[in-house]
Amino acid sequence: MTNHPTVTADRRDGLAVIYTKGYINNQAGEEIARVAYVLIDEGHKALLLNLEGTTIVNSIGISILIEIIEKMIEIGGRLAFCRLTPTIDKTFHIMGLTQYAPIYGDEATAVAALRG
Amino acid sequence: MSLPLPGPGSDPAAEPEAWGRLLELAREESADHLLLRHLVEMWARTSGARGVALYLEQGELLRREAAIGDEFPSILERDDVANGAAGTVPLPGGALVVEPPEAAAAAAGAAAQLTLLLGAAATNRRLKQQIKAERFQVNYRIVELEALYDVGLAVAGTLDRERLAEEVLMRAISLLDARRAALYLIENGCYRLDRAFGGAAAAEVAVADPELGRFLAGEGPAPAALLPGARYAIGVPIQVEAGPRGFLAVGDKETRRGLAPFPEGDRRILVLFATQAALALENVRLHQQALETERMAREMELAAEIQRLILPTGAPPVPGYSLFGWNRPARQVGGDYFDLLSLPGGQVGLAVGDVSGKGVPAALMVSTLHSALRLLLDRFPPGPELVEALSAHVLASSAPSKYITLLLAELDPGSGALRYVNAGHNPGLLLRRDGEVELLDACGLPVGLLPGSRYQARAVVLARGDLLCLYSDGITECLSPEDEEFGADRLAALLAEHRDLPLAELVEAIDGATGAFGAGTPQGDDQTLVLLRREEEA
Repeated sequence: MTNHPTVTADRRDGLAVIYTKGYINNQAGEEIARVAYVLIDEGHKALLLNLEGTTIVNSIGISILIEIIEKMIEIGGRLAFCRLTPTIDKTFHIMGLTQYAPIYGDEATAVAALRG
Repeated sequence: MSLPLPGPGSDPAAEPEAWGRLLELAREESADHLLLRHLVEMWARTSGARGVALYLEQGELLRREAAIGDEFPSILERDDVANGAAGTVPLPGGALVVEPPEAAAAAAGAAAQLTLLLGAAATNRRLKQQIKAERFQVNYRIVELEALYDVGLAVAGTLDRERLAEEVLMRAISLLDARRAALYLIENGCYRLDRAFGGAAAAEVAVADPELGRFLAGEGPAPAALLPGARYAIGVPIQVEAGPRGFLAVGDKETRRGLAPFPEGDRRILVLFATQAALALENVRLHQQALETERMAREMELAAEIQRLILPTGAPPVPGYSLFGWNRPARQVGGDYFDLLSLPGGQVGLAVGDVSGKGVPAALMVSTLHSALRLLLDRFPPGPELVEALSAHVLASSAPSKYITLLLAELDPGSGALRYVNAGHNPGLLLRRDGEVELLDACGLPVGLLPGSRYQARAVVLARGDLLCLYSDGITECLSPEDEEFGADRLAALLAEHRDLPLAELVEAIDGATGAFGAGTPQGDDQTLVLLRREEEA
């Protein structure tokens, strides 16, 4: 098995969903951050990270995600996660990410919450 | 967020609202970054600088925290802002970089107080960052412990080998911030690659490979072919008390600045993790083994059932005679065979065979013997021709060195004439009414032993009261605790003693006697008896 991270974004009227595939490590984390900052620069104030395609994340990936969350707080925006594996869900809770970025089971619920 | 800022050289009394907002920012827990940005902007206005950037120390580097102007890189080396570097203003735990450089002089002039304020805010920010980084590390240690705990839980919770192996590999990578890893498990005395992530890995490694041994002990580099292209690697064995079960190799530790060697602490974590993983994997292995044993037991039971169906459950009625057959395999299935047949013209066929070897292979040959004999009986009468054809068939359809001893007989009930072929089998015992014992000796090699075997038929006549006993060597070679064989003489004596009993009871008497002779010694071989008695009264 090889790890070729892919990050794509779907823009939806002020809200954007970022889809990840593969291992969220330094390389993939930087790519997620790049895409997120582009979206922020475009004026998106609500970001959803759909991690359906990700089963593994390391501490560097998490630290980059925290930076993105901080950036969103700084601009007064909101960020949420959805479709996490139980292991990643647990890791995000322990690492405190969920204090600032809620986790939702599915994308529709997350989008509704971010728009609400 | 946009705030009115105090102007250059502003007096707080003159701009109370702007200074009030700035103080609000200073008090706000999460606004330190915003505060720094505003202070940097004020510093730029006050000094007249075109651009100003605030850098804060982060490990060995300085990271850009806030900037006015876009000519500043995000990261600087410490040397870039070392004492006296042009255009830099040292701050506690960081520095201001100013464009044009001569504007830095404002730090000692118009912007002196702002510089002090910026220094205090930067220190505050840096300490908060430090606390955050330490909290991150503490939390990540908890994640590591959770991972160890979770894999421990899998011992009781997961019996899916594939899922467990995947979980072990993924968690090892995540735990150590590795970029790649490979899991090897022992198979047929060799470490075989079970799965890899992030790059190629050797398909197999010899268990005794000395280079691998040193690598797993932390005393040497990884064998070159193990994780091709990896710059850094560590490996630990996966072992249980009974011995090694496999190993984990992880490669290329990630940092924000690229790849790095694994620190010694990572080895300790991986050893702990591998200990948990070993228990989980061993649990799954034992479970699979138990399932396999259960499956084999079911298959053996099925084979035993098939064999029970092959052997006759009763004897054909033969007026003027009693006929009885009995078999007990030493294992679940056996290599002894007997058959009692009604033949055309009122004749009766008797067969007793013994396949070399025991257990499943012997049972399979019994099956071959049974079907071949039944088919050949359609073509030949039970005599030399049939046994020769049978021998050729067995020779062609069985492994070398496998053979069958067989005594095949045909009785003409009216005359009492018994024609037989003994292919290497134990001599049948014919107990005459007057107590004399005649032997139905072998007259040829066992079937399937050599090509082109030839056989001869012999004949005896059973008079009224005569008792014929065909048996397998499991009866006569039954051992006592002193390793003495039961023998044909004891069998003949038993037959004489109980010759008038119903045949089923006579078999019970023989079984009882051999059992008593063995005195608890486990039955070593399959046992078969076929008894035929010509009754006194027709």
